[in-house]
Amino acid sequence: MTSRHRLLWSILAGAVLAAGAFPLAAGLRAEPTDPTRSPAAGPVTRVLDGPAPPLTGRTMGGGDFDLAALRGQIVLVNVWASWCEPCRQELPLLAETQRQWTGQGVRLVGLDVRDNEHDAHQLLAETGATDLTVVPDSRGTIAVSWGVRGVPETFIVDRAGRIRVGVRGPVTATWLRQQLTRLVDS
Amino acid sequence: MNARKLLVVAATAALLAATGLAVARSTWDTGPAAADRVAAGLRCPSCEGETVADSRSPVAAAMREVIAEQVAAGRTPDQVRDWFVQRYGAEVLADPPSRGIGVLLWVLPGAVLLLAVALAVRTMRHPNEMPSSRPALAHRPERAPGGTKRAHAWRTWDMVAIGVIGMVAAVALMAARVGNTNPPSSTGPTSAPADPVAQQLNIAQSLEAQGQYAAAAGVYRAVAEARPDPQVRLRLAVTLIRAGQPTEAAAIAREVLAGRPTDADAVLVLGLAERATRSPAADETLRRFLRLAPDHPAAAEIRRLLPPGG
Repeated sequence: MTSRHRLLWSILAGAVLAAGAFPLAAGLRAEPTDPTRSPAAGPVTRVLDGPAPPLTGRTMGGGDFDLAALRGQIVLVNVWASWCEPCRQELPLLAETQRQWTGQGVRLVGLDVRDNEHDAHQLLAETGATDLTVVPDSRGTIAVSWGVRGVPETFIVDRAGRIRVGVRGPVTATWLRQQLTRLVDS
Repeated sequence: MNARKLLVVAATAALLAATGLAVARSTWDTGPAAADRVAAGLRCPSCEGETVADSRSPVAAAMREVIAEQVAAGRTPDQVRDWFVQRYGAEVLADPPSRGIGVLLWVLPGAVLLLAVALAVRTMRHPNEMPSSRPALAHRPERAPGGTKRAHAWRTWDMVAIGVIGMVAAVALMAARVGNTNPPSSTGPTSAPADPVAQQLNIAQSLEAQGQYAAAAGVYRAVAEARPDPQVRLRLAVTLIRAGQPTEAAAIAREVLAGRPTDADAVLVLGLAERATRSPAADETLRRFLRLAPDHPAAAEIRRLLPPGG
């Protein structure tokens, strides 16, 4: 074989190998670079600052709810479902928080995700939380627009309609008191 | 010469056609198939190692609804993905934007391809500059200066060609190295379909997906015997917990931990097995898991399981 032949074959081999390397690169999955990194596992309390996504719908009580109409008030949004055990334990605390803080310009709204309405009503009755404003999110699409990863999850929206903090997992009375006091006083 | 020319032109045309096809596919990707592809390209944020398309979790189901809704509204797959990235961060992408070695893997083949085409074009344009063979050169070292120049040029070409092959080889090696760090349970395109162990793992996973945990555990056990891989043994342990045999699951997790005491996955499986056996040690084991891997995808769920303030 002449040198020119060799060169041509080398070039062709290079081109073929390069073409093969494209699907190889495409086939590589993302996990090897950083398999465990996920904001889901960040600190339990997340400090956030962004406009709250829309939250509108018919409440379980039959009224209309629109988060945007609550500008000027602090709104605690709790994402829950009757099939979630920690939510069951959290609801009495939320009902109590609503009773304590309503006079200070704080509103609570529950977003009931992919739930059976009968089960949800029953749980609210069992936990003494029937006076909570609850918007059913039967398809879970509102929760996804809020970036929810699981239930329960809680957000606090300030008077300007911006989400200020979020918690993945159940909240505690201390946490609620601290966060609400800070926002009410600000 | 014509045949060679034809070959080079054909190879270039094939590559261009493939590129064009890929671009066209990503531009005109619509309909339910597009929604499925988007779902397959997003990670389920509340699961471990599952995509939105695979997961049965309520959040993944809700995400599929959002994807279908947005695709039906005429949004392109890229727009839908961006929407999720805004809410869940870039980590929601099963193939997040490449960084570091990933970028190199994409850039190098492109550079090599361009170089190869440029070389082929120059070779065909100036065939007379090349001496017919090296022995001929060797016999005429005292040729006129023009000849020496051509010989130098030819050596340069040869070096470039070798460099091209070397670069491609380096890319292939890097790709293999990155690919090898995939967990064995991964069913990425790098796993050989004819591998009996891979086939068994597929069977076990599909049994698991159908809720046949005892049967799946049997298959995982056979795989674990054939390939004593800690990941497979942990998978077996998880399946045993689901099959209602947490005691054996805890024993397997402890065996894995004996060899790898800081393996967060093993601690997690042990904690879950202990919890299933109502062992008082469970909460502490799960807290140990959180200390070892606070950023683990399962960490948020584990925090939910643990009593608050503990």
